[in-house]
Amino acid sequence: MTTIMNSFKPHEKRIARKIKETTDIFTIEIDMESNSYPGQFYELSILGIGEAPISAASSSSEKLKFTIRSIGHVTSKIFEQDVIGVRGPYGNYWPFKEYDRILAIAGGIGIPPIRALIHELEGKKDLWVIYGARTPSDLVYKYEFDQWRNKANLILTVDRGDESWNGKVGLVTKYIPEIPDLKNMAAFLIGPPIMMENSVKDLLKYGLQPENIFLSLERRMECGFGVCGHCNVGHFYVCEDGPIFRYSEVSNLPELFL
Amino acid sequence: MIYSLNAEEMAQLYERISKEFETYGTVDIEGDLTFSRIESHDELRIGRSDKPPKEFLIGRNENVLVFTEPNKKAVFGVMSCDLKGFYIMDKQIYGKDPFYTARRDNTVFINYVCTEPCETGFCSSFGGPLLNDYQIQVINYENDKYLIYADDAYKSFFEGFKQASKEEISKVEKLMHNFNMKQKKHEVEGIENRIKWNSKLWDEYAKICIQCGACNYSCPTCYCFDLNDVGEERIREWDSCILAGFTKTSAGNPRESLASRLRQRFYHKFVYYKKSKGEYLCTGCNRCTDDCPVDIEIKEVIDHDYNNE
Amino acid sequence: MAQISVCPYCGTGCQIVVPEKDEPFSVSGYKGSPVNNGKLCIKGYTGLNYSFSKERLTYPLFNENGNFIRISWEDAIGLAANKLLKIREEFGPDSVAFQSSAKCTNEENYLMQKMARVFGTNNIDHCARSCHSPTALGLINTLGTGAATGSIKSLEGTNTFFIIGSNTTEQHPIIGSKIISEVKKGKKLIVADPRKIKLAELADIHMQFRPGTDVALLNSLMFVIVKEKLYDKEFIDSRTEGFNELREEVIKYDPIITSEITGVEPELVYEAARTYATNRPSAIFYAMGITQHIHGTENVMNVSNLALITGNLGKYGSGIFPLRGQNNVQGSSDMGALAEFYPGYIRWDSDKIKKFAKLWNSTLPKKKGLTLSEMFDKAADGEIKAIYLMGENPLITEANIARVEEGIDNLEFFIVQDIFMTLTAAKADLVLPAASSLEKEGTFTNTERRIQRIFPIYKPPGEAKPDWWIINKIGSRMNLWKEYSGPEEIFNEIREAIYNYSGATYENIYPVGKQWPINKENPDGTEILHTRSFPLGKGKLVPIKFNPPSESVDGEYDLIMTTGRNYFHWHSGTMTRLSQILEREAPEPYIEINSEDANERKIRNGQLVNVKSRHGEIRIRAKVTNLVPKGIVFIPFHYKESRVNLLVGENLDPISKIPEFKVVAVKVMP
Repeated sequence: MTTIMNSFKPHEKRIARKIKETTDIFTIEIDMESNSYPGQFYELSILGIGEAPISAASSSSEKLKFTIRSIGHVTSKIFEQDVIGVRGPYGNYWPFKEYDRILAIAGGIGIPPIRALIHELEGKKDLWVIYGARTPSDLVYKYEFDQWRNKANLILTVDRGDESWNGKVGLVTKYIPEIPDLKNMAAFLIGPPIMMENSVKDLLKYGLQPENIFLSLERRMECGFGVCGHCNVGHFYVCEDGPIFRYSEVSNLPELFL
Repeated sequence: MIYSLNAEEMAQLYERISKEFETYGTVDIEGDLTFSRIESHDELRIGRSDKPPKEFLIGRNENVLVFTEPNKKAVFGVMSCDLKGFYIMDKQIYGKDPFYTARRDNTVFINYVCTEPCETGFCSSFGGPLLNDYQIQVINYENDKYLIYADDAYKSFFEGFKQASKEEISKVEKLMHNFNMKQKKHEVEGIENRIKWNSKLWDEYAKICIQCGACNYSCPTCYCFDLNDVGEERIREWDSCILAGFTKTSAGNPRESLASRLRQRFYHKFVYYKKSKGEYLCTGCNRCTDDCPVDIEIKEVIDHDYNNE
Repeated sequence: MAQISVCPYCGTGCQIVVPEKDEPFSVSGYKGSPVNNGKLCIKGYTGLNYSFSKERLTYPLFNENGNFIRISWEDAIGLAANKLLKIREEFGPDSVAFQSSAKCTNEENYLMQKMARVFGTNNIDHCARSCHSPTALGLINTLGTGAATGSIKSLEGTNTFFIIGSNTTEQHPIIGSKIISEVKKGKKLIVADPRKIKLAELADIHMQFRPGTDVALLNSLMFVIVKEKLYDKEFIDSRTEGFNELREEVIKYDPIITSEITGVEPELVYEAARTYATNRPSAIFYAMGITQHIHGTENVMNVSNLALITGNLGKYGSGIFPLRGQNNVQGSSDMGALAEFYPGYIRWDSDKIKKFAKLWNSTLPKKKGLTLSEMFDKAADGEIKAIYLMGENPLITEANIARVEEGIDNLEFFIVQDIFMTLTAAKADLVLPAASSLEKEGTFTNTERRIQRIFPIYKPPGEAKPDWWIINKIGSRMNLWKEYSGPEEIFNEIREAIYNYSGATYENIYPVGKQWPINKENPDGTEILHTRSFPLGKGKLVPIKFNPPSESVDGEYDLIMTTGRNYFHWHSGTMTRLSQILEREAPEPYIEINSEDANERKIRNGQLVNVKSRHGEIRIRAKVTNLVPKGIVFIPFHYKESRVNLLVGENLDPISKIPEFKVVAVKVMP
């Protein structure tokens, strides 16, 4: 009798804490040690409704945390649950160990794995973060920004300001020139495909090497471990070979920024 | 080990195997051959089944939340082009999918090597019907004469049976040589470099493809499935990459056009899998074209002159 | 052992190989079938899971003050029989209406119409009314038979394919793909459709005409054929009558003039007419685009005119192919589950019904029967007191749903027999759980007139029973007949009742079915009809004058909506929406609106909009696409969340009583 673990079966975990971040984004904390590194993801599930792949927002030393936009039939129901199914971590993580100087650019709901990165690095590396959202009310983790400023150089920007906003306005790419000594950094990018595409263009212009630029790609993911076939980009599976990809290895894939 | 058996001994072999394994084989349903539970060797009809024996390893519709140890099964009458598919798929999913892995470990497939090319297949373009990887491979090379290539794991079933002689083996090799000569060859080598992203073929196919999914469902190397919750079950169901929903997310759909999805299928078969696993995700069985209602030819994808469009 | 059966979806009737119970459920096509040669569409591959759904009805239910309570079969049958008899006693047999099902077998449809007539009423009808009743009436009038004249196999001999009002690759995919295969070989394809359907992209000629102008378009094609003398004089002289009158009408329809009506450029009409008339044999395919109009029957007769004057009937590869929708709508119509027809299309008021009086040992009703919409109308008016409905979901599929609902709410007794608790079943007094097509024995007749067998491969869930068993019991309890022993006994009675079925036996239609007429003259069935003569001798040419559709645009309702279907779902969705893959592909209701129309109304793709007609209003998501031309919007009727038929009025074809689903004036607002 073989004792094969059923990799499809999730662990049922309590949701210990819920935070409403914006009108449609919320954060949940799971009563479980996070054994994942920034960039990895889990499959969260509600039995009877389905599963959703969500990146971990927590560092390896924190309790497991997720920040989720309520947009599909699973994510729209997670906030009201007491217990959810969790399986993972899956995928690879940001190669932060390889670099001393890192620029992280996060657009919109791409911020959670960058939050994880900030808390993982604990200020031990030269980390610059450009975080852009559509409007000030779409920014999440507002209550942590001061903490972040102790661990990294933080540039916050919005596409459109409002009466209360005194900060920067404009796309994330606008603030790339403000980063000192750009070409000796690694760039970690996550956000809408068009944001990553434009950022890559600018970063290459400023002399960053393609092998030092990393993208976090998103595709339809179901199994999370390379058997259901949905998440391919070129010959890679985002769940197994990604979600973090070195730009020089994917630059000639026609479906990269779709 | 290679053994030499006659028809009576083949029946005996079946009996021995049936004592340890639940037996399945291809049976005749009004002219179609389909896999079914069989109780005796007489029920077996050798020929190409209506669909590949994929369901023995990847459930068509099953609840993935409940894993039970599978029964030991022996499947007779598998075609080489179908069996080869498992070895190719193993590279991606064996060891990861618990159901596939457990069933693969507990199922013995007995493949029967074709001695004459079938009407539409082109397995010789991938090495021919005599496989290098097998569990129990049978070739009925002459009336009442069978050569069996058996993996040592199954040698207990062959106790008392003669080993094949040099002449017999060379007879079979000659037969296979003639087979490969007779069947039209399609130059698959290098297709990953010849095929073009912007080829006119994809739009041409998209004009006629009706999105029936037959190519995926009938392919011995297509393994993709969808996961959906139905009540308290998480059901895996065979999926088709030809359908728009295959890559749909709440953020959008990277393959909106039917042409891009058709291209994806052929790229997966001839470019991506070759790059990541070193082998083409195709065995030359031609079922995709045989079952396609509009006759989209996988041979055309291989033979097409991409440089002169 | 695996079993050969028939797919329960469309009228193509693909044969499938189904594994025996206890084996993993996986369907494939039967390669030995002349219908589909082993091919299936996505619904065949992934759409049969519904049969195993946990939502299946499993025991009889009685509605007690809004709560459904479980009752036994004994009680259910007694209740049904007694209630119907009581109502008959009090109000007469015509106060009861019977609604049969195009999804159920020939045996079941035959029993249902027999039940109605022996009970004492001609109030028997079913959804064929809403789809191909014009075909039955139109073609029986002009040719003598209301069915496809050829076979799917015979399409290999066709040189010109003319598709009008059918989205064949989505609704009859295996027939559509057969057409594509032939066109790939160089055959000609003419498509007439307001939308840019897939076949239109492949067509040599696409006539994108305005909904409701079919008569004008067909007349203008015949204008060209007459003017350029492209008609088959020999065929007209020897096999038809009425050419002169037809000619006098069609010469008024010069394509230059009709382009004002149809919106089609004259050059296209000329090219289409010349191709169809000379590149023979030519076959015409049509479906709801022709029939679901107030001129549905006239449209059909005009299609028949076109085929007759060009000699495109009776020869291999030619013909008229009304593409029947449901898996057994051809059969249910053949069985006479229609108000005006007895089995074999014998008119209710003809002398020939005497044979049924004898066969059934019963007197027969003397009053004309009500058709489907009329039944609900009269129920709302209080004249129909009870309806016994099998396998239909009129609260989603009928026109003018508000009136249907009124009618149902006003009934004294409503019996619904189905496999799921549909929207309609939820309003019943008595719900009877039925078996699916994989769980019972019987026959289906596909759109090529081919009678094919189905088998009980799986056990029905819980206490569900085959429809024939239920009707059999209720009918015998009402003393209408002696209980039948099984479907084969019913089929043998059908063979006695319908001469065109008389040569078929359960044995000789397996594994491959046979096309009727199958009788003494044609012991092996008949592939091509009308090869030497028509059932009424000569084919009748009927001049049709163009009259506009029932609805037109005005200042307020400025768009024309045409309803329809998509590839992934089936009718009211009770079966396909339980398939995960199909539901993923088409998960929610939508309205197709042209980009210019969308821009004018400031409507973005994906936005929720209000769609209002003179009869109702719904809210639905916009899909901006140029598949539809400016001025036309399209909404499929599969979704109970946004029932498009609330918008459709009760404008009926006076001859066939089919509602005009295809032309409804609407306004669309964000």
